[in-house]
Amino acid sequence: MTIAVCLKWINASGQTDVDDDRFMGFSYADQAALEYALRVAENTNDEVIVVTAGPVGAEAVLRDAIARGAHRAVRIDIDRSHDSATIAQAIAQVVAHCALIWCGDYSSDRGSGSVPAFIAAELSFAQALGLVEIQVPADSLHPIRALRRLDGGRREQLEIHGQAVISIEGSTARLRRASLKGSMAANKQAIDIVTVNQVAIETPPTRAYRPRARTIAAPVGSSALDRVKQITDTSSAKGHGETVHLEPREAAELIVNKLREWGYQS
Amino acid sequence: MTDTDIIVVGAGPAGSCAAIAAAKAGKRVVLIERGPFPGSKNMYGGVIYPRILDELIPDWFEHAPIQRWVVRRSTMLLSDTGAFNIDYRSNAWGQAPYNGATAYRPDFDNWLAQQAVAAGAELICSTTVTGLLRDAQGRIKGITTDRPDGDLTASVVIACDGVNSFIAKDAGLYKSVDASNYTLGVKETLSLPKSVIDERFGVRDNQGVDIEILGGTSGVNGGGFIYTNLDTIALGVVLKLPKLSAQKKRPEEIIAELKRHPAIAPLIEGAEVIEYSAHVIPEAGLDMMPKMVADGLLVAGDAAALCLAAGIWLEGVNFAMASGMYAGQSAAQAVTAGNTSASELQSYTKKLNETFVLKDHKKLRKIPHLVLSDRVQHKYPGFVTGIVERMFRVENPHPKPGVRRILREERKKAGISLMDLVRDALTGLKGFG
Repeated sequence: MTIAVCLKWINASGQTDVDDDRFMGFSYADQAALEYALRVAENTNDEVIVVTAGPVGAEAVLRDAIARGAHRAVRIDIDRSHDSATIAQAIAQVVAHCALIWCGDYSSDRGSGSVPAFIAAELSFAQALGLVEIQVPADSLHPIRALRRLDGGRREQLEIHGQAVISIEGSTARLRRASLKGSMAANKQAIDIVTVNQVAIETPPTRAYRPRARTIAAPVGSSALDRVKQITDTSSAKGHGETVHLEPREAAELIVNKLREWGYQS
Repeated sequence: MTDTDIIVVGAGPAGSCAAIAAAKAGKRVVLIERGPFPGSKNMYGGVIYPRILDELIPDWFEHAPIQRWVVRRSTMLLSDTGAFNIDYRSNAWGQAPYNGATAYRPDFDNWLAQQAVAAGAELICSTTVTGLLRDAQGRIKGITTDRPDGDLTASVVIACDGVNSFIAKDAGLYKSVDASNYTLGVKETLSLPKSVIDERFGVRDNQGVDIEILGGTSGVNGGGFIYTNLDTIALGVVLKLPKLSAQKKRPEEIIAELKRHPAIAPLIEGAEVIEYSAHVIPEAGLDMMPKMVADGLLVAGDAAALCLAAGIWLEGVNFAMASGMYAGQSAAQAVTAGNTSASELQSYTKKLNETFVLKDHKKLRKIPHLVLSDRVQHKYPGFVTGIVERMFRVENPHPKPGVRRILREERKKAGISLMDLVRDALTGLKGFG
C-alpha cells in the first residue's frame, strides 16, 4: 500500500508573494501531515510518497521530506498560478492509487484549505478535513480515529475507513528531524517529474467573482420609509436560528425548505 | 573508508572557498552550515575585497550579488562636535578589476556556497557541529552533529566555524581566550531611497561609499563605520569588550549617540531602521591567533582570528576567503598524498606565511593595539579636530596663529606628551610602513 502526502511549496518567511529559494519550505500543517503519514507507514511497513506541484525549486521540499523518511517523491511540473481545483485535479491523478492521502489543512501563504477537498471530490474518496486530533492504529491503516474542528468550539468524532483524504492542523504533530545521513542520501535521490501534459487537466472557464443572486420577498408597508426599513433595519432583534431534533431525512428537507424560504434556492 | 574526504564546518566566506578549492581538486566535500541557508546568521561591518576570488571564480564580478562598488573611501575623526575627514575618490574602483564592494552577507555568502555546490561540494544546512570525532589514538577522524545519526567521518576537517570556533577550542588549538582581544560589532541597517543615498553621498548608479570613523563611540574604545548599499545604509560601531563592560553602556545607546553627531545626522536623516545585528570580532590579529593545523584538522577565517583591524585597513572577508582557499587546497593535497598528519598539512601555514594573509598581519601586528589604545581613541580625535578647527577659523582682527603654535597648544590641551606623540608616530610609521 502507498500513503501519499501533499506538500505545498511556499515562502515560509511570511513574504507570501516572493519566491526566494532561501526562504521556501512547507507549512506547519503540511509538516504535521508528513509526520502522521510517516508514523502510519512505520506501523504498517507501507510506502510514503510525497507530492508537490510547482517548478524545479519545489524539489527542495521533496528532498527534505525524503530526508525525514519518505520513500519516493513526485513533482508535478505545473504553473502554481492555477486555481485549487486544477492543482487538485493534477495531484489526484498522481495519488489515485494511494490508500490514504495526507494534507495540511491549509498552507500559511493565505491558503484556503480547498485542495484536499477538491482531491477527495476528484477521486470520490472519503474526506476528513481540518482534524485537530488523530489516533492511528498500532499495526494497520484503519480505522483512524480523529476529532474535527467545528464552529463554536465543538468537535466532531470521526472514524476513517477505506481510501480517504485527511487534512490536519499544524498543531497536531511536530515533524521529526532528518538524520544527517538521510539528508545526504536525499540529495542524491531521483525525483519523479510529471509534466502537465502527462496529466489531463480540465481548466474550467473563469470569471470575476460575484456573489450569487438570491430572491427575497418584496417588502410590504404603507410608506416607502417603512419598506426601506423593513429591508435595512438592524435595530430590532433577529432570531438566532432554532434547534430541532429530527431524523436525517426530515432534517435535510427542513434545511432545503429554509434555504428556499430565505431565497438561497429557487 | 570515511564517509567523505573533507568536511568543511561553516558555509561563510572561508568555508565556501575551502569547499570550492577542495571540490575543484576532485575531492568529496561536505560543507556543513548551522543556519537554514548560508549567510543567514552572518553579519559584518565593512567592505568585501573580493579580488582573491580571481583564482577560484575568474568571472566572480559578473555574478556576485554586489550592492555597490566602493569608489569613495573616507576616514573620519570625530570630536564631540567636529569632524575631520580624509576622503579619496576613484571611479576606476567602480570598474573591472574593481577594488572593494558592499554586499548583504545573506546574499553574498549564499552565492559563494552555491559556487561550492556547483563545484561538487555537498551542502548540508540547519546542522550544528557539536564536536570532533577521534579515533582510539585521539586523532581527529570527523565530526559529531546535533542531527540524529549525525556522526560523519572524513580524512580532514576544516574548521571555518567563526570567531568562537568551538572546534579549534575542542582541538586545543587556542591557548586561552582573552576578552580584550575581541570587539563587539553592532550595526543598524537604515532604509533610504536610492536617489537620496546617491545625492547625500555624491555617487550614482552602483557606486558606493565607505566611511571609517575614529571617535564618536561615547568614550568606549573602538570605532564606527558607515557604508552604502543600494537602498540602505549600514551604520555601526565596533567596541572593545572590556571597555564596554566597564563603562556599563549599551551598544544601541552608543549607536544612537553616533547617529546624533552633527557630521553623521544629515547623512541618515529620515532613514528607518530595518535591521539590527551584532557580532563578536577577533581584533588582536597575530597576537591571538591559534595554531592552525593539527592531525586531520585545519582552521581558517574568523575561527583562526584572521581579521585585520588596522585602522585604515579593516578587512576580514578577503582574509577568510584566502585562508579558506589555501586550507581547501592543502587538505586536498594531503588526501591525495594519503597523509593528513599535521606535518603534511603544514603546507597550509606555509601558504599563509607566503601570502598577504600572514604577511599583512605580521607587518601590522602592533597597529590594532595602537588604534584601540586610550590615547588614540580619546585624545587624538580631539587633538586633530582642534588643530583643524583653529587653522580654518578666521578670527580677524587677530592675525592667523602659526601652525607650530597651534600644534603645541592643541597637544597640551589634549594632554598628549611630546614623547607619547613621537612614540605613537614611530609605532604607526613602523607598522604601516
